[in-house]
Amino acid sequence: MTTIFYLLAYLAVAGFLCLAFLKVRAYLQASPLHVRWELYPVPHEGAKTSYGGSFMEEKDWWTKPRHVNHFGDIKAIVTEVVLLHATFEHNLKLWFRSYPFHFGMYMLMGGTIIVLLSALACLFGLDPKGGFMIFVGNVINAVVLVGGLCIIGGGVALIHRRMTDEGLRRYTTPEMFFNIGVFVLFGILGIFAWVDATSFFDWARVFICNLLTANFDPQPSNWFALHLLVGFFLLIWIPSTQMAHMFMKYFTYHDIRWGDEPTTYSDNAKNTIPNELKYTVNWSAEHITGGAGSKTWLEVATTNPAAPKTE
Amino acid sequence: MRDNLQLTDVSTAEGQMVSIDLDRIPNLPIDMEKMPWKPVTDEQKENTCCILDEVCVLNIPKPKNHGEEEELVNKFLEGMRKSFTKENNWTFLPILETSVEYCAQCNSCSEACHLYEMSGEHEMYRPNFRSEIFRRIYKQYVKKEPLARWRYGDMGLNWKTVARLGELAYRCNLCRRCAQTCPVGVDNGLIAREIRKIFSQEMNIYPRELHEKGTMNQLKVGSSTGMTPEVVKENVEFIDEDYTEITGVGIHTPFDVQGADIMLLHNAGEIMAWPENIAAFSLIFQEAGLSWTLSSKSMAYDGVNYGVFYDDAQFARIALQHMLAAKELGVKKIVIGECGHAHKGLTVVADRVIPYEYQVPRESCYVTLNDIVMSGRIKLDPHRNDFPVTLHDPCNIVRLMGIVEPQREIVRKIAPKFREMPCNGVNNYCCGGGSGFAIMTRNNIEQWRGNITGRKKMWQIAEAFKDCLGPETKKYICAPCSNCKGQIREILEHNDLYAKNSFAYGGLVELIVNAMVNVKPGFIKWESEEEE
Repeated sequence: MTTIFYLLAYLAVAGFLCLAFLKVRAYLQASPLHVRWELYPVPHEGAKTSYGGSFMEEKDWWTKPRHVNHFGDIKAIVTEVVLLHATFEHNLKLWFRSYPFHFGMYMLMGGTIIVLLSALACLFGLDPKGGFMIFVGNVINAVVLVGGLCIIGGGVALIHRRMTDEGLRRYTTPEMFFNIGVFVLFGILGIFAWVDATSFFDWARVFICNLLTANFDPQPSNWFALHLLVGFFLLIWIPSTQMAHMFMKYFTYHDIRWGDEPTTYSDNAKNTIPNELKYTVNWSAEHITGGAGSKTWLEVATTNPAAPKTE
Repeated sequence: MRDNLQLTDVSTAEGQMVSIDLDRIPNLPIDMEKMPWKPVTDEQKENTCCILDEVCVLNIPKPKNHGEEEELVNKFLEGMRKSFTKENNWTFLPILETSVEYCAQCNSCSEACHLYEMSGEHEMYRPNFRSEIFRRIYKQYVKKEPLARWRYGDMGLNWKTVARLGELAYRCNLCRRCAQTCPVGVDNGLIAREIRKIFSQEMNIYPRELHEKGTMNQLKVGSSTGMTPEVVKENVEFIDEDYTEITGVGIHTPFDVQGADIMLLHNAGEIMAWPENIAAFSLIFQEAGLSWTLSSKSMAYDGVNYGVFYDDAQFARIALQHMLAAKELGVKKIVIGECGHAHKGLTVVADRVIPYEYQVPRESCYVTLNDIVMSGRIKLDPHRNDFPVTLHDPCNIVRLMGIVEPQREIVRKIAPKFREMPCNGVNNYCCGGGSGFAIMTRNNIEQWRGNITGRKKMWQIAEAFKDCLGPETKKYICAPCSNCKGQIREILEHNDLYAKNSFAYGGLVELIVNAMVNVKPGFIKWESEEEE
């Protein structure tokens, strides 16, 4: 049984990586190059960002070197991810519920990364009972407590809001209640394990050490084991649902909303557009394929459906 | 008629699904009446799918039997399948997929939408309402995900669902203000446009103003106005003559000047409806000493491209002709006149549709005009514009292209009593005529534009002029976009706001010419002056 438990852990991590990879690959393969569909403000426009301006405000902009302020993009996405800025600005009532929920997740995700690094450090010889590790352990124990409580509080508040707000209730699908419910369960089990443990951090560090060394020792507590099992499920479940926005947001922001690179500056675009025009179109409307069944985009764009018919 | 509207009502409701209660529509600080809906006629009920609300944009023929009902559904599903294939929709597929897959259903977009707000927060106008129907159909009937009904909610699919979804795609101005607020990056405006594309590109269903009278007319005779090259040249010649007399400055608008620096691309609607705009451009460019020309080549004298609103194929065809005409003339750049969708279509969307070797650089007229005004190449007296002025931000140019400051800098320089509207710049609201509605007047569309879509803009205008509302003070609404002007004109006319509030509206170039010292004073006219 213990071995199966560890196999599930490997499966969950591998599953998360594979499913996330597939999602990203599907996005990238959907089109070699989609049209520009930017939306201002675009944060890499430097001083113009403050009012939503763009390079197209410049006379003869195509004759000038292109400046992209990557720091602006990073600052904007970090602000959005860390503070849920858009929700704060446009949906404050929901933010008060959603923010603790997300903040709790960030704490547990960040905590997991620190535990992983601690486990690696121990494997490379750092004394697990040393002062530094005790300090890290205290921090992680606090993070798990606060993070777990935030997820529970935020999750319950979100479910309540989605059940009682007439507008939200209409759009909240059964899966969404399920998703939030699983996170709340994850948090509750984490808190029970935390109460059960002398040091949650030690349990977590040892578990990850065991994972890394394929040392399949049993778990010290049923609460901890259940907490991890729900965590394994979430790792697989997140990329299979709309919650994959946690990583797909990179593309919706960087590639779509802020994707303003003109073809003038992009050899990739210059080379890709002619190839895309070779794709076969089979839209059925009379004015597109004109009863021909299929044409290339190039043929479509260079055909005039309103031109007088020649015999 | 349901107040407590559910998503599934699109497939189950009998007859007209919703009715927008005029009493729930907010009142404004200016006298703007609510226009009663005209009842849907028995003939319409009998023959067309006018089953969403009081408005009917598409006039989808009502299926006569079960076979026709099935055909409508199957065609729609086939179109939906195609819109999720790279070959048929490489232009938009990644954007569509992310908007379909990752919505967190938080409804943050609702309050950003002027239609939702001005319909009295009617459920049907949540930007997510139509999107969610689209998503459920896709996952249940096209993608056929296991447990789709449980995971995403059930959605019945029949001819009523399809007909109502088609109409719902035309209850949106495509201003994308909702997309700006989305924490995830979902674009409900894009989904509305993709639905329009399915109807047009697969099902041959479109508003006749956009297709037959719009893109097809443009492809046939050269302009959506119906003007042929010869007629355009004649009309512009008349405009030159008229405005030479009006301004006291000899105006000559050049056509087909080989090797000129600039090809100016007007919305040809200006030639017919606002000749002063054409004259003002000619006058400014001429006095600034620019090397420029108009083209008389078919399609290239009309920057309109309604494909932007509903059909990628039509869009590409017209955009290509615009580029080819400029290439033929050998100009260094195309300057796009005061037309929002022409700006975005030719500058942004066409940028990754037309092969680079066929492209000619495109510049907004706001930028060109800014250079002229700020460099002092024409002599201006701001005191000639000594009346309150506010500036409308066309969505396509401002939110969707980030051209915000050049036009403001001009107005600040030449209009001492300039004041911003609330929610200006990239946070602006659509005029209400966006995405093709400005040219539609039938089946309660004009009532809809007056009651709902154009209402928020009039609130902004009223707020901008709140210190001088009433007939005593002349006020100028600067709306540098042809479609926006059309929408604002209709609201002003219908509510008699020219007289009640001494409003005049027009573009940016008219305001510049009004301040030119070598032009006879009074280029901008108010209604009271025109009567004198």
